This record gives sequence, C-alpha cells and structure tokens, in this order.
Amino acid sequence: MITVSHLSKIFHNPDGSNVQVLKDVNCEISPGEVISIIGPSGTGKSTLLRALNLLDPPTGGSILFNGENILEKNYPVHKMRQKMGMVFQNFNLFDHMTVLENVIFAPCKIHKENIEKAREEGLALLRKVGMAEKADVYPSNLSGGQKQRVAIARCLAMKPEVILFDEPTSALDPTMVGEVLSVIRQLAKEGMTMLIVTHEMKFARDVSTRIFYMQDGIIYEDGTPQQIFEAPVRSATKAFVQRIRKEVFQIEGKDFDYLDMESRIRQFCIKYNIADRCDMALQATNLMLKDIMAAYIPITVRITFSELSGETFMDFMVEGLETSPLQANNPSMEKLRVFCSEIIEEPTSRGFRIKLRIG
Amino acid sequence: MKRLVYFIVSTLLLVSCGKKTQTIELNSPDDLAGHSVATIAGCAYEKDLSSRTDINCQLYNSSSDLLQALLSGQTEIAMYDEVVYNAIIRKENGIKIAMLGDQSYPTAFLFRKDDSELVRTFNAVQRRMIEDGTMQKLIDFWLTDKFAEAESYTHIPSEASGKPLRVATVLPTAPISFLVDGEWYGIEIDLLRELAKELHRPLEVKLYDNASGFMAVQSGQADVMCGVVFVTPERQEKFLFSEPYHSYHTAYFVLDHDVQAQSHGIIAWIKKGIHKTLIVENRWRLIVDGLLKTLKISILAILLGSILGVGLYSMMKSRRKWVRSCAAVYRSFIAGIPELVLLLIMFYVVFSNTGVSPDIVAIITFALFFASGVSNIYKASLDAIPCGQTEAGLALGFTKSQSFFNIVLPQAFRIGLPLYKGQCISLLKGTSIVGYIAIQDITRAGDIIRSRTFDAIVPLLFVTILYFLLVWLIGALIKLASPKKNVL
Repeated sequence: MITVSHLSKIFHNPDGSNVQVLKDVNCEISPGEVISIIGPSGTGKSTLLRALNLLDPPTGGSILFNGENILEKNYPVHKMRQKMGMVFQNFNLFDHMTVLENVIFAPCKIHKENIEKAREEGLALLRKVGMAEKADVYPSNLSGGQKQRVAIARCLAMKPEVILFDEPTSALDPTMVGEVLSVIRQLAKEGMTMLIVTHEMKFARDVSTRIFYMQDGIIYEDGTPQQIFEAPVRSATKAFVQRIRKEVFQIEGKDFDYLDMESRIRQFCIKYNIADRCDMALQATNLMLKDIMAAYIPITVRITFSELSGETFMDFMVEGLETSPLQANNPSMEKLRVFCSEIIEEPTSRGFRIKLRIG
Repeated sequence: MKRLVYFIVSTLLLVSCGKKTQTIELNSPDDLAGHSVATIAGCAYEKDLSSRTDINCQLYNSSSDLLQALLSGQTEIAMYDEVVYNAIIRKENGIKIAMLGDQSYPTAFLFRKDDSELVRTFNAVQRRMIEDGTMQKLIDFWLTDKFAEAESYTHIPSEASGKPLRVATVLPTAPISFLVDGEWYGIEIDLLRELAKELHRPLEVKLYDNASGFMAVQSGQADVMCGVVFVTPERQEKFLFSEPYHSYHTAYFVLDHDVQAQSHGIIAWIKKGIHKTLIVENRWRLIVDGLLKTLKISILAILLGSILGVGLYSMMKSRRKWVRSCAAVYRSFIAGIPELVLLLIMFYVVFSNTGVSPDIVAIITFALFFASGVSNIYKASLDAIPCGQTEAGLALGFTKSQSFFNIVLPQAFRIGLPLYKGQCISLLKGTSIVGYIAIQDITRAGDIIRSRTFDAIVPLLFVTILYFLLVWLIGALIKLASPKKNVL
C-alpha cells in the first residue's frame, strides 16, 4: 500500500543551520498492518509520519501510495490525504464547530455529501467512539481524551484507507490515555491499516502487528512485537525497550580520579533508586580496577540499569584483548563473587568485556 | 432604542449652560482692556487684537462659530465685519454694535499670483458694471434693508458648460455669499456670476475655512477666493487682487442683555430651532446631502482600505525583508501623522492642480489610514488561529485555499470582527474633518446651517444624532456580514 524508499528530510533553521532528521528511511506497509513506531525523542518518528502525508514534504527519496508516486509534481496531494487520515497529538479540533459538525464538515464540503445522511453517519461514528452524547457540544467543553476520540471520529468520517496517529496520547492526562487507546485497539481489530507513533510500550506490544524502532533518522530495527520487545537484535533497540540507563567512565591510566568515579556511581544509584547495590558496585569496581584488571588499563567502565527488568550490570571493556583477563586462581576472584551474582566473560568486536551482575 | 434615548438626554444636558448679565459699554479701543475679545483666525485685523497684551484674544474659524461664542458667553466681545452682523442683528435680537472699528478696509477678490489674465478680465467686467450702474444697484440691494426685506432671491441661471470657474468662499453669510436651497446668493456671488458669464463658464462655489481658502487658491484647487477679503500689503505679496469693489467697516459686537430674547419655554424653543434648521429654505436637503456624502466617503474608504489592508498584511507576512520593512515604514508613517494633516497634504500638495475631486482625495486618504489599522487587525486575528487548524484541514483532504477559507477564516472573523467594527466607526467619525477640503458632509452641512440661522444648538444636536445613527447603521451592516453560527 505504501512503499517508502531512501526517504530523507532536512530542516533548515532560520539561523542558517540545517538539521537532518530523516536520513534514509525504507519500509513497505501492507493493508491491514498496525505498525507502532517507537524510539527515543528527536529521532524523526513524527517527522516520518508528517512526511508520509506531505505535511512536511521530504527532501529526498520516494513514497509510493497505491502504486502512485505522491512526490511527483502536480500530484493531487489533497486527494491522497483524503485516503490517508491523520490524528494529531494536540487534537486540532475545529473550535468553532460542534462535535458533530467537526465530524461531518469534511465529508459535506469535500464529498458534497447530503447533510442529513452525513449527520447519520457522523452520529454512528460518534457512537463508535462513545461520544454520541456530546454531539452538539463545542470542543472547549470536552476533556482531552474526549477531544481525541472526536478527532478519531472526524478522521474516520473521510473513510480513509490508512490512518497516521502522531503521538495520540502524549498530550493526555494519564487517566484519559486508556479511553483513547481502546478506540485505537478497536480499530485494529476491525482491520484498519494504521501507523502509530507512541511512547506507550505495552500498548504498542499488544496492538501492533509490526514495530519500527527508529533511531538516528532511520528505521533501526523492524520486526514483530515479540522480536523487538523480547529479542531485539541490536543493542540500541534493547537499551530502549528495556529502558536501560547507563553511565560510562574512561579509565585512561593508573592515576585516574577514583573519587570522582565513586561519587558519580553513587549519584547514578540514587537517581535510579538502587542505593542498596551502591556499595556492592563500588567494592566490585575497586577490586576490578585495583587488583584483578589493574594490568589491563586503559579500561572502559560502564554501569547500567534496566528500568524494565531491574537488573544492574557493571561492564569492564578492554580494547584489543582476545582472551579473558580473569584468572581463576586469583584470590580476589573469591571476594568479587561476594558482590556479584554472575560474572560473564564475552569477546566483542573491538576487544574483550567482563560483565558483572550486581546484587 | 433605549440607547438612543439615553444618548439624546445626555447630549441635551451637555448643551445647556449658564449666561452672563451685564451689557458691556465701549467708547474707545482702550475700553477693550480686561475683556475677552474674539475674531476670525487669519483675518486682516487679527493683528490689531493679538498684538494687545491687555485683552484676552480668541480666534475662531468661522463667522458662525464666532457668533455662537458671543451668544454662549465664551467671549464678551466679538470683532467682525459690520455689514455681516448687521444682517444678523436684524434677525437675532440680543446682540448689538458696541463700537465701530476705527478704519474701513477696501475689499476685493483674491486670485492666484500667476493668474493676471483672469484678474484683468474681472476688472474689466467690474468697471463696466460701475459705469452702467449695475454695481450701484447691487450695493443698493444687498447692503441695505432691501435685501433683508426680500422674501426670496433670484439669479439668471447659467447655461454655460465646460470647466467651471471655481470659487472658494470663506464667509457663508448673508449678504456676501450664502446658500439658500442649494443655490449661492449674495453681493460677491453676483459679481462673480458676471465674470463667469463673460468667460462663458459655469460657476462652482465651495465653502472653505478662512485659512484653507488661501491654500485652495494657491494650490489651484480654486480660481478665486471671496468672502470679504480685505486687501492688505502682506496678501498682495503672495496673491493678486482685483480692484476693490467696496470698503467695509469692522465693528465690536456685544451681548445686549436689555433686549435678550424672551424665553417661550423649551418646547417652543426646540420647535423653532427645528423649524429654522430643517424646514426653512429646505435646509433638510443640505443635511440629507451631507449624510449621503459622509456615508459615501466612509463606505468607499472602508472598502478600498480593507483591500489595501490585505495587500499591506501580505507585505507584512512577506519572506523578503525589504518588503516587510516597506510595510513597517508605511505603518509608522501613518501612525505618526494626524488624519487632518494628511488630508490637507493630499488635497493641497499631492492632488493640487490635478482636477481630482475632493471626494476621491478624502476616500483615498481615509483608505490609507484604514488600511494600516485593519492590516493590524488581520494580523492579530489570523495569527491567533493556531497552524494546527490549517494542518487538520489539510490532513482531512482540503486544499490549502479550502482550509484557509473554510476553517481559518471563519475563526479569524470571530476574533477580528469586533475590532474591525471599531475601526469602521472611528473612520466614520473621522470623516467629520473633510469640510476642510470643501466637502459638504454632515458636519459641514451643520456649519452652513449654523451660519444661516446663527443657532448652534439645534444643528449640532442634529448632527450628533445623525452620527449616532450612522454608527449604529455601520454596526448593523457589519453584524449582517458576520458569519452565521451554523457552519454547514
């Protein structure tokens, strides 16, 4: 249905600088797919959606919609948009119209639909999103969740083939997120093709047939929810879905500032509410750097914490090393085992890494 | 309706004021000391008054304002042409001549410096009239009681066509030049009629303020100025004069408290005032014409200004910096100049000698002001609509222009309309200054009637009420144009 290849988008700032938000996006979207687009902020998720319906026209690449190149000159963009609906983060309801008028305005003006017929269909759509009761109310009297449900009904009124959801719940109170998500869930059940930019991971996992993980202006990883959430191939994806927090230290020589590192590890532990593991992490670090691996400096040390699983790791990475620096007969190894429940030795592309599970 | 009643009551309260009691005696110019003395700004004897430090000198714009100031007690003594107020004294009991001025001034017609041909023709006509006795007949009729006793006045209608002889009169008062039922009469008008006949050109008379009359002749908006123009050396430097046809005395007028008009009660007074203001000499026609003129200038200026405003707004929104700067310069220029000043510049400088009618000059001037005002309103109301509204329209499948007209504009209208209405009303009221370039709008119609009836209150009251109704009318028209609540 939609084929995107080599899509790029560069924003020109007023000060003359340029920002490349989309670098090289390629994807194929088939009818009936529900695709959630996830990823850190500022990686071009919303820009991708807005580039698809040309609200922010891309600067390079091509988009085929039902086999037609919509980036061609003189292509009737408004006709394409009638089939590609969009739901905005800020709802963008027409404030001077009632709820029902919001829903039937576009069909009446664009498709020249009979007002009575449009009214009936509009009411049916409002019933579907649970807003029929408020048909004659003005948007200013609605809550955020109600507004977003009306916006979805307004979008459906044009009978689109695909709907783009641009962070539909980000502007909502936590208490109102559920009502909007359940409407989208219902649409997914009915087989509507949808692209949803969202930060609701559980929802993305439950409702989607496919997940795009975006980072650095590209679709970094693309797969089923199971693949992305349970067995992500790429480490950045994993860090994102497991919500991994980290702090990195470069140990350049024997005289590095250990006190500074200690205080940063303490702050990290306090920040993520794992103060109970703080001493263990510090003891382990002390042992590793001053004793077990002292000969291997420079070392890159990393402390990570997954908000999803609650696991804390300390990584010690030595570049250019091919075998494990650990020696089983070193007496310090016994002490180390007091502080960590697991010691993983793994070679990486650039060297060798010792991974300690703290606690 | 209720608003109208409040309005009239408050206006009536405003115009009622107190009176003085003592009649002033004058025997020599020294007796003026300690009194307030008023005359007309820019007249030949203004200097005699303003050079004296022992009197409180006031200057008014027209003979009727001066008289009204005397009647209402704003000034104790009015100094003016004897012949003019003599005509009034006959009608209006309550003022009297306290003392005659000590000299008489030769009076003539004033022409542009380079128009010696016209002056020569006029002098020839005047000389012929003196020789064959017509001049004496004119003086016998207009400057004596005969004029006052006459029921109506006649003149031979002119059949000439072509470029009219444009006369700027600064004294719309009997027996010099005055308007009765749409026609000008008076001794100076009769003289100029003879000149026009000689030239085979029709006569076109327009009323100016004393100071504007000179400007009108100098800038070529008028060919000749009349209205008891005294010949002074100062004026002769800048203008040409015809040979004087008469010498007029000045006189000091004071309120005569002994024969103050007896009051016959407020109802009778209002009745008489309305009769004088509207019925006599079909003066209601002046008011109706003035009303139409004010409406015409206002509505055309609003339409033209609204369109210019769109242009100005798009300049303000332009991507090019120099275009935006142009708009900013224009707006600060307009913001920094009073409407009256720009109107005078447009009329006497920009459009001098172009033959463009004063109406059009006024419409353009007010449109320039209006454009600057409404461009701000456009900006404020369109900028208030978030761009998400346009995006929502686009995303639904509207084209760019469809989303602008169907979604953004109706919302901007709701914000901008009250502001726009205010702008229209201030323009309408602002047009009351067009009298300065000899357009007879409502205000000027009221002035002309005042200069005939020498009664300020009723004409001013009428003018006030008419402006009030016009404001209401404009408001109603705009309400009619506002978008309906139902959007589909």
